[in-house]
Amino acid sequence: MERHEIVENIRAALTEVLMRDFGPLAEGTRLFEDMHLDSTAILELLMALEDNIGIEVDPENLDMDDFRTVGTLTDFLERARKVSS
Amino acid sequence: MSTAYLRKLKRALTGSADTPLVLLCNFEAEAQWARHHVGLPVPSGGPRPVVAAMEELGVLLAGADDAILLSRPLDPDYRDYLTRQGLALPTMLVPENSRPDRSTTANVLDSPVLLDRLRQLGAAGAHLLPMGTTSDEEELARRSGLTLATPAAAVVERVNSKIYGRRLTEAAGLRPVPGVCCETRQELAEVLSHHRLRLESGEPLVVKDAYGVSGKGLLVLENPARAAQLLRMVDRRAARTGDDRIHVVVEEWLPKRCDLNYQITIARDGRAELDFVKQALTAQGVHQGHLMPAELSDTQYRQIEHAAGAVAERLSADGYHGVVGVDAIVGADETVYPVLEINARLNMSTYQGGVTELCQPPGTVALARHYPLRLAAPLEFDTVRRALATVSTTRDTERVLVTCFATVAANALLPVGAGGPPEPFDGRLYALLVAADRDRLHDLDRAVQAAVTTLSVVEESHA
Repeated sequence: MERHEIVENIRAALTEVLMRDFGPLAEGTRLFEDMHLDSTAILELLMALEDNIGIEVDPENLDMDDFRTVGTLTDFLERARKVSS
Repeated sequence: MSTAYLRKLKRALTGSADTPLVLLCNFEAEAQWARHHVGLPVPSGGPRPVVAAMEELGVLLAGADDAILLSRPLDPDYRDYLTRQGLALPTMLVPENSRPDRSTTANVLDSPVLLDRLRQLGAAGAHLLPMGTTSDEEELARRSGLTLATPAAAVVERVNSKIYGRRLTEAAGLRPVPGVCCETRQELAEVLSHHRLRLESGEPLVVKDAYGVSGKGLLVLENPARAAQLLRMVDRRAARTGDDRIHVVVEEWLPKRCDLNYQITIARDGRAELDFVKQALTAQGVHQGHLMPAELSDTQYRQIEHAAGAVAERLSADGYHGVVGVDAIVGADETVYPVLEINARLNMSTYQGGVTELCQPPGTVALARHYPLRLAAPLEFDTVRRALATVSTTRDTERVLVTCFATVAANALLPVGAGGPPEPFDGRLYALLVAADRDRLHDLDRAVQAAVTTLSVVEESHA
């Protein structure tokens, strides 16, 4: 899966969890400040990403810093895919 | 001069209404308690600066004879503003070795000059009143010679568990929110399996950490697939750690008319008093503010009074004394569920008690809340004051009082992205609004919201 496809999957997962439609996301977009993601929704977001990307995520392997931007979350998911494959 | 509210609190906690207190508003206490328990699998991460900055809320609870420990000094202009409002402020004690990545307790423990000062206060009879007592505050009491105004950390931690709260509610014969406690992976699996039909029909369940920090450790399950997915995550963790414990409560998501928050103060001798009942404003489980008084019928109020007495009796029997905030809900059918959660510590609403006594005349209504801001650079307090001065308070009883300013620019302390220009950051302005009735309070709230919005930078919407 290419990096831009992971970003697209993050967009789809955010749409599902936040129940709002989004246009294309820049990697610099901040999840909390710009997207208004709430910390209560993080686990839900990870579950949606597991479904969409087909990987297993152990939330406790993440740091809140991984959720800073679309780009940092993409970095984490790329690393997780390499471990899974 | 102290408020009657503070004097009553001191009498209950220390035996005398005149005992000088050293306040410490350690909002991170819940995260400390949570370390000893296994909750939902969530990412790790320290408290955000804006939460740490909320310690400034304690300034308005303390009296002139008291002191408060703050990692950062109060803004001088904000301090002058509070004095002009007629508030008697406590002595502010700032650790000489303060780092933003540490709690205030840790900063104080690393500050010998301040510890010496605290020893003097301890020798003069001052008591330490943390927001929530953990082993760190016990160490601070030991090293400073201050008498702890609360029970031991082990007692406080035990009674703050949502599992403890559910069991107390059931044992006291109070109406619990339908749900169960789980302490192992197997118990959780059985509960979710038992509720499969409910999930299939689209009725959600909520899973809450026994020690969930506000805004974290809560998961709403809306279908069986998500329930199965949660179990897989829990299983993977159990396989990795060899530990199949999980301390959560699983409850039905009830349609509600409103959330409530009431406070009980339990004295050392077990006598207890219901201090107030407020309407709590929440969004997705995260606290937004309080409306006071709450809209309750006489019957509903009596149910809360009864529950407060029952909760206090059992907490006292289990060795707890001090302030207790209880969250409750009024269902959409007006049924009162009097105990949703027991927070045996000082609460957001605890800190409002003094200013509401001074600023909210009988018969008026008040709203305590925070207003979100998006800033490009830290604001001067005077800029905030001037923006709020545009809000017209038409009658003598109307007030708009800033109750916490440090949270406005706390996130400016965060490191910015490497190399780029500083990014806009989020802040919160806490305020107390008082008006003659709810309609006027609503208008005042909208006017303050509009005034605060003028302080924010305009950014492209991502919604």
